Amino acid sequence: MSKYETVIGLEVHIQLNTNSKVFCGDSAAFGSEPNEHISAISLGHPGTLPRLNEGVLEKAIRLGLALNCEISNNSFFDRKNYFYADLPKGYQITQDENPICQGGFLEITVQDQTRKIRIHHIHIEEDAGKSIHDLDPRFSCIDLNRAGVPLLEVVTEPDLRSPEEAAIFFSELRKLAKWLDISDGNMEEGSMRCDCNLSLRPMGSSEYGTRTEVKNVNSIRFAKKALEYEQERQTKVLNKGEKVIQQTRTFDPESGKTYPLREKEEAHDYRYFPEPDLPVVNIVEEDIIRIQNSMPEMPAERKSDFIQKYQLSEYEAALLTEEKMPGDYFLFLIENNSNYKLISNLLINKILPEAKELRKSLFDFPIEKENIHAFIELISSNKVSASIAYQRVWPELLKHPNTSPEEMASKLNVLQNSDTDFLESAINNVLEKFPDKVTAYQKGKKGLIGFFMGEVMKATRGKADPKLSNQMLRKKLES
Amino acid sequence: MSPIDLSSKTLSSIQQLLRSGQLTFVQIVRHYLNRIQATRHLNAYIEIFEEEALEKARQLDQKIQQSPESLGHLFGAVISIKDVLCYKDHKVSGAAKILEGFTSLYSATAVERLVNEDAIIIGRVNCDQFGMGSSNENSIYGPVKNAADETCVSGGSSGGSAVAVQTGTCLASLGTDTGGSVRQPAAYCGVVGLKPTYGRISRHGLLAYASSFDQIGILAKQVEDAAMILEVMAGPDDFDSSASQQLFKRTTAPHSNYKIAALRPAIEHHSLDTEIKENTFNKIKDLENQGHSVEWIDFDLLEYLVPAYYILTAAEASSNLARYDGIHYGYRSPNATNLEETYMLSRSEGFSAEVKKRILMGTFVLSSGYYDACYGKAQKIRRLVQDAIFKIFKKYDFIILPTTPETAPKIGKGIKDPMKMYLADIFTVFASLAGVPAISVPLGVHSNGLPYGIQVISQSFEENKLLDFCDYMYRGL
Repeated sequence: MSKYETVIGLEVHIQLNTNSKVFCGDSAAFGSEPNEHISAISLGHPGTLPRLNEGVLEKAIRLGLALNCEISNNSFFDRKNYFYADLPKGYQITQDENPICQGGFLEITVQDQTRKIRIHHIHIEEDAGKSIHDLDPRFSCIDLNRAGVPLLEVVTEPDLRSPEEAAIFFSELRKLAKWLDISDGNMEEGSMRCDCNLSLRPMGSSEYGTRTEVKNVNSIRFAKKALEYEQERQTKVLNKGEKVIQQTRTFDPESGKTYPLREKEEAHDYRYFPEPDLPVVNIVEEDIIRIQNSMPEMPAERKSDFIQKYQLSEYEAALLTEEKMPGDYFLFLIENNSNYKLISNLLINKILPEAKELRKSLFDFPIEKENIHAFIELISSNKVSASIAYQRVWPELLKHPNTSPEEMASKLNVLQNSDTDFLESAINNVLEKFPDKVTAYQKGKKGLIGFFMGEVMKATRGKADPKLSNQMLRKKLES
Repeated sequence: MSPIDLSSKTLSSIQQLLRSGQLTFVQIVRHYLNRIQATRHLNAYIEIFEEEALEKARQLDQKIQQSPESLGHLFGAVISIKDVLCYKDHKVSGAAKILEGFTSLYSATAVERLVNEDAIIIGRVNCDQFGMGSSNENSIYGPVKNAADETCVSGGSSGGSAVAVQTGTCLASLGTDTGGSVRQPAAYCGVVGLKPTYGRISRHGLLAYASSFDQIGILAKQVEDAAMILEVMAGPDDFDSSASQQLFKRTTAPHSNYKIAALRPAIEHHSLDTEIKENTFNKIKDLENQGHSVEWIDFDLLEYLVPAYYILTAAEASSNLARYDGIHYGYRSPNATNLEETYMLSRSEGFSAEVKKRILMGTFVLSSGYYDACYGKAQKIRRLVQDAIFKIFKKYDFIILPTTPETAPKIGKGIKDPMKMYLADIFTVFASLAGVPAISVPLGVHSNGLPYGIQVISQSFEENKLLDFCDYMYRGL
């Protein structure tokens, strides 16, 4: 057990998924040819002025509300002045003194414990362009497509206590950003980046130690690694009786180490001052209420809904609420169909992995809702046993999505026609549904036969011949 | 072709002459081009758009014949623009080396609106570098001379605009006014200079000096013409969120019992020339005799105006001018061998001493440790000045005071005594700090032969009232 407590604060940059940039109409799309989205405004040409993209404001407020922040009704922008080749204006428009969202918290679960991580604030800012140093032997190249792309920066209080917690926080925040449809959360494209601040203090101390900041870490895994490295490095420094130097550091993914960039004395004086080209952002109560009303159900609420209203298991509910789309699709499928369990089963075991493999959005899944319902109907009415339906009918349906499931089942000759077939299918379905009970019966709990009979009666809506059913059940269970 | 005299003609009378066929637009443009050639030595023009002006005039002459109903509001108007305003596919330099060879990709909203209403832009006129200066001596193109006395300055920073109008080379000129840059040269050159309310005209396409002060203004011979041009340029603009949503529609409703506040500490200021003082007194008496009520008011913040103004404008300038870095466009020092040197040498070689002084001062006042004492304080003074001025306008229609303490100084004099030159802005920065509209109209000619002006200030967005009053006062002279 270490004698130090780790204190971590994160500054997470979230690139928003607006169509246009934060202060002009240029496209904010990723992946175009260099310098395609650059009007005179992105280029910072003389005489150009910023104009706030209202969509950015709305997304900032959405995240703020989801993180329980106070929304400032008179927030404004500031200029952060520094020279860099990919910063055409010589300053970045950001928010320093009065950011749009203030206070707030995010609850995360760490080793089954709920931890409340306080948010200091969220502010809006513009991204810089990109300098590319390895493209040309003589020149550095500048791509200004990214210059002016909207970012939200979420700054936490120093409430995180381990690299693991930090990684969980980062990942939960990413999930939330995607959930709220404010960012694609795509780490590879740099949609989320993080500055990690870490310091150590003696266990039980209430004062903070000297911190270092690892800049611009672009994945959750790297953030965790960088923090682990820093934690270890600082521990060694302190154990040697030396002092941690306040520094900005950079993380090298190849070596897994962090290296100093600059020290406190070399820190820039950014000369922040209020951006005179943009008016104060007036947010009225009605705006907040309107945005609040347009907010989707949050993941935690949805999960408990799925368990309570639709009797899904904890596991199923968690799986369907990891991202927003599967849950949305589940809700879409259970409109006019109350076979919740069967639908969630099909979704989790078939549709989700298949859609992923086909690289299709769930709502573009080749088999349409009507046929999915008809397929479910085959199973629930015991026309086909669940295992046959899954193993034989579904793969064929996927190949011929316009064929009706009933027709497909008939083509495959798996429809149960006679009374015996019908009963067999119902019995199979019941046994598939309760594998643990089957095991218990086989281990000697013979009284369970009554339970199985009841289930078969339920499944056949009382149509099953009790004597025949009893016989067939015993035969199946004892074979 | 007999020589024509447009010097005392208003735009509406020129439009009548054009409609009736007594004059063609080509004749008018030729006339102005001749005037430009005849006054070249005054150095008002940086570039003359001769061919395109004539071509546009030919097209408009055809339009007068063929579809007179489709003529724009400003047909017949020939206008020059200060070298800080963007005009698509034309050069713009802010009279600075750092923008050497730079051509604008787009037109300033104000310029575009003029052109859309069939005005002709005849050329780009000289100014102090990026609008920083009060004498037009801070220009890479050299000083502009005052036509009333060629050994004297034109004033600044819109000195080229003032002389261009003074010498009848155009109907009007667009200047920009940050702390008096339209009003002061107008006073020095004996023309009308209007600085509208801050935000009245979009700043899109105006090379920023101090964003929270900059405003496009109009220099003209006639108040009425300035009003027509303002009407076209004013109004909301998608490219400038500080531009007002209000449109400006010129309506006249002059009356004879305005409530006027005479700003005592200005009119009795120790730096004010005695002849100007006397004549300002006389003007005030005239107004009283004409039935207006004039009251003398005090203003104890006067001595804080210039320091607050220079701190705030320098701060904004230091940031606004950061984009001229030698990397993206304009001048890049050939002596630089790395990124750091590219910044340092391009900026050191590309900006004038005056601009560098203000960038340094602005950087200083925003630095941590000095921000509160300098920038923060100046912001507070600005707020106090705004509050005080708004309070005055609860009681009065206008504030009147001289435009400048003296007439135009000799060329070269101000450079020797920069503090004096800064302090000479005392009467104009008053309206700039508050963002209220102000106008300078000629008041008289000094015994030294140079003109001077009187300044009228009104409440924000009350340009109609301001113009009514000035029209009345000016024509009454």
